Amino acid sequence: MAMSTSTDAGAADLPRVAQDPANARVSALLASAARRTPMGDTPAAWLLLLPLLLFFLVSVVYPLIETIRLSFYDIRGLGKPTYVGLQNYFKLFSDDNFTTAMIATVKWTLTSTFVSVAIGWMLAMLCSLSPGRTLPFRVMIFAAYGVSEAVSGFMWLGIYRPDVGLLNALLGSVGLDAWQNPWLGDPSTALWAVIAAYVWTQVGLPLMTCFASIQAIPKNLFEAAYVDGAKPYSMLRHIVMPLSLPGVRVAIFINLLSSLKAFDLIFILTSGGPVRSTETVGYFMYRESMQNFKLGYGAASTVILLLGVLLVSIPVIIKRTEAAR
Amino acid sequence: MSAARNNDAMIGKSSPWATWLVGAVAFLWIIPIVGIIVTSIRPLNEISLGWWNVEQFTLTLDAWRTVWDKYPLAYAFWVSVKISVISTLIPMIFAPMAAYAFHFLQFRFRRVMLIIVINAFVLPSQVVVIPLFVLWRKLGLIDNIWAVIIPFAGMSFAWAVYLVKSYLDDFPRELIEAAQVDGCGPIARFFYIVLPNSLTPIAAVGILQFLWTWNGLLLPVVYLREELPLTALLARIQGVYDRNWDQVAVAAIVTTVVPLIIFIVFQRYFTAGASTRSGSKE
Amino acid sequence: MKSTRYRFAKTVLAGTVLSAAAGMANASALSGDLVMINWLGGAQGEMMQKLEDDFVAKNPDVNFRNIVPQATGDARGGIRQVILGGEQADLLINTWPAFRQELVDADLLLPVDDVWQENGLDEVLSGAWRDLSVIDGSNYGVTYTFGDRSGIWYRTDTLEKAGISAEPETWDEFKATFAPLLENDITPMSVPAKVWAHAEWFESLLIRVAGVETATKLANHEIPWTDDAVKTALRKWQELLQANCCDEPNTMLATDWDNSVDAALKTGDSAYVLMGMWLNTRANQEYGETPGEDYTIMQFPALGMGHDDTSMVDAKELNLLSTVKNKEAATAFMVYLLSADATAIMTEYGLASPSANADTSLYDPVIAKSVEEVSNAKSLQFVLGDLLPGDLGGEYRVQLQKFLQDPSDETIDAVTAALEKVAADAYP
Repeated sequence: MAMSTSTDAGAADLPRVAQDPANARVSALLASAARRTPMGDTPAAWLLLLPLLLFFLVSVVYPLIETIRLSFYDIRGLGKPTYVGLQNYFKLFSDDNFTTAMIATVKWTLTSTFVSVAIGWMLAMLCSLSPGRTLPFRVMIFAAYGVSEAVSGFMWLGIYRPDVGLLNALLGSVGLDAWQNPWLGDPSTALWAVIAAYVWTQVGLPLMTCFASIQAIPKNLFEAAYVDGAKPYSMLRHIVMPLSLPGVRVAIFINLLSSLKAFDLIFILTSGGPVRSTETVGYFMYRESMQNFKLGYGAASTVILLLGVLLVSIPVIIKRTEAAR
Repeated sequence: MSAARNNDAMIGKSSPWATWLVGAVAFLWIIPIVGIIVTSIRPLNEISLGWWNVEQFTLTLDAWRTVWDKYPLAYAFWVSVKISVISTLIPMIFAPMAAYAFHFLQFRFRRVMLIIVINAFVLPSQVVVIPLFVLWRKLGLIDNIWAVIIPFAGMSFAWAVYLVKSYLDDFPRELIEAAQVDGCGPIARFFYIVLPNSLTPIAAVGILQFLWTWNGLLLPVVYLREELPLTALLARIQGVYDRNWDQVAVAAIVTTVVPLIIFIVFQRYFTAGASTRSGSKE
Repeated sequence: MKSTRYRFAKTVLAGTVLSAAAGMANASALSGDLVMINWLGGAQGEMMQKLEDDFVAKNPDVNFRNIVPQATGDARGGIRQVILGGEQADLLINTWPAFRQELVDADLLLPVDDVWQENGLDEVLSGAWRDLSVIDGSNYGVTYTFGDRSGIWYRTDTLEKAGISAEPETWDEFKATFAPLLENDITPMSVPAKVWAHAEWFESLLIRVAGVETATKLANHEIPWTDDAVKTALRKWQELLQANCCDEPNTMLATDWDNSVDAALKTGDSAYVLMGMWLNTRANQEYGETPGEDYTIMQFPALGMGHDDTSMVDAKELNLLSTVKNKEAATAFMVYLLSADATAIMTEYGLASPSANADTSLYDPVIAKSVEEVSNAKSLQFVLGDLLPGDLGGEYRVQLQKFLQDPSDETIDAVTAALEKVAADAYP
């Protein structure tokens, strides 16, 4: 039986740990180390978390506290801040622009994440059928993920241009003139057009993580299934799909949360327009804090966004962390 | 390539149609990238009507030459490498440690901390910029690459921990327990059992973090003065009043190539796990 | 009441070239670091670098350092970050009067009246340019460049193609050119309404409908946005739209200024575009066209409502920050930017200087024409959008987009009411 170096090694591989000569030596060493320093979980955990905590305190906790503090102030540009209590929050909830931004954010995050992950996952499964030969294709698709949002924005601007844009030109050349549209100027299509461009940049990530997950599936599972006469489709359905879920989860998590922060692409493609139809909460935060420099108001919108994410993520995280040890 | 051969045999036989399909998608996918490349080698007055416009077609390396002459690319490249490599190594080492602690160890505040750490991913860098700017000034860290590395690394833990932890979900607990029976302490279990078996997620963390720090713009622009990385330097190409997209395209190519190479190199670890496994099947 | 004067009565450029080097007398022993917050990129950034290099060549002991704020989007965001972060700097490049006001209110700028006197700047910059940067009786800036924003750009061959022999001068003549243009498949006006550039038409209409005083009052919110002046200006624009001046609303909303300029000055798909002087650099250097021959500029048509001697302008100035450490070098650089050497460098980059030291014979025909228009105008108005406080500036552009989507009388009422609502909260 194979010794697995993979994270997803089957339970059946386990006894080998002790039998493997190298591991046995290691175990012996460790055992003596452990006898010298018997350490419980708690101190060990804190020790392991220490580096993270140090970085985290400085670069996340401290700015976060500052943000919460700022959200209680009315700040206009460089003027002196005045303490206003919860007023920024009350104002946010009566601000139609913020409500519109929240609705746009829900559409934006859910659609872009779902579509990116679906495409990426499917491509990953197809690629796993011949990983060697599809490497160049994976690199090509992943390349889009490496292009900065600003530059992708500029490329898609050319594609969507109403006068000489590539998309309208293509539609015209296949006789679909009636479908031609000023994609980014039409409030009913602008958001979807920006989402399409964003999906283009994002698919590389789910492709990568799902592919990694699929590659980590122990080969003997396939061999066993093959011997049992399973068809490729049913192997995909019963082995590949369920066992690539860790990659899918990671992709959903990262894509979802990055989409909440996405800004540059929207800025270049539409600047939140036309008539605020593509203004997400991420863009709203930028506009209030950086353009209008109402730092307090912008901070309050950040806090609301964080709370929203917290509310959604707590149940998920709790569910996924029940089984420590 | 042995990995390829082994894997092609994965589901009985390789499927040429799948390769063709992925290839088709890939070619569709790089159309905008082709656009960037074409934009960088054509004069601006031709591409203002779209890079695909072939009414006139001239190739020129002017934009490349201008960018090369005007900007100290070599030094900026070196700064970028320093920043990205350090900011990438930190979560590559520490995120698995944390993920392991969160996943396999029992301690108070485990969940609360995990929730806080993971949610920090939503924190936009605009929020971090000003408070840290003030702090760095007090500590005299302005124009020091650590002013950028610390937040780059600090903010990466949110997703890096989640990513590694997510892979640990399927980590065989029996392996851990066996080591425990052998008298292996919690820290040793991490270094000898979990770490060597987590190369796939660590490679993923490395690729993503490298890419993001390499492309990171906001923090370097604000915190660094002379020690500017490539992106911050090239961001100056884009003026407020003119749009020299040809040079912007050059900048985009120069900056994107490096993360791609990293991707090509590191992605081997995804298949490495698989090939070792089938390779040891004697 | 704030006595901010954005408006300035005229006789701007007629200044005599007296004692050009009056301010250079003390160019003796300048030294030390000189730090400027410089957000200019692209061609203007290059120009500023060249000016700095020239200044340092003349004052070799000065170590000129730029702080380059983050430039994505509105540069003011980055500048505020730098200032709030506690960065020490001597000078700031500024183009927004509302931002100057914000800085003064926060005690971040020093008045430059003494600089003005010691260096005899009255001789170099006429009173109107000084008045431009006066707040509450103190002068806070030195304007080093300006541009006509009421100039309509067009390609000469576009009008020829449509058989239009003379530049339209009046409103009716202007509208009368639409029919022949449309017959030749040329969109008369290219209006890029994606972000901000559609406001240009409204602003020039406003000052020609109601005068500069009214625009100033509107900027200071001394009259409401529901005022008849605003509505009349919008109705004038409505006339243009009804005369088929423009593309479909959604196409306008999808078009940013650069593509719009391509259509007017490169391909000739549309005839007129109303925008600032940076188009000169673009058409000249990027399209390789000859100013005055291939393309030119004409002043906004006369409406015959008593305010046709007005023009919209923009300008850039240097402010002296209160964190200044090297005041000698800082003021010397301010004065240098008005010198003949500096203005010659600016002219190379297609920019006009308000300085009396500028050699106007170096101007290309298009700059010369725009400078002449500005000099001939009796009163000037700074770009309105840059005078409005943060939120209102954004809302203003969005509401004008709504107007373009459906330019009806009802929309005019709704749009002005919506602006008034935001304005009510936007002023301190």
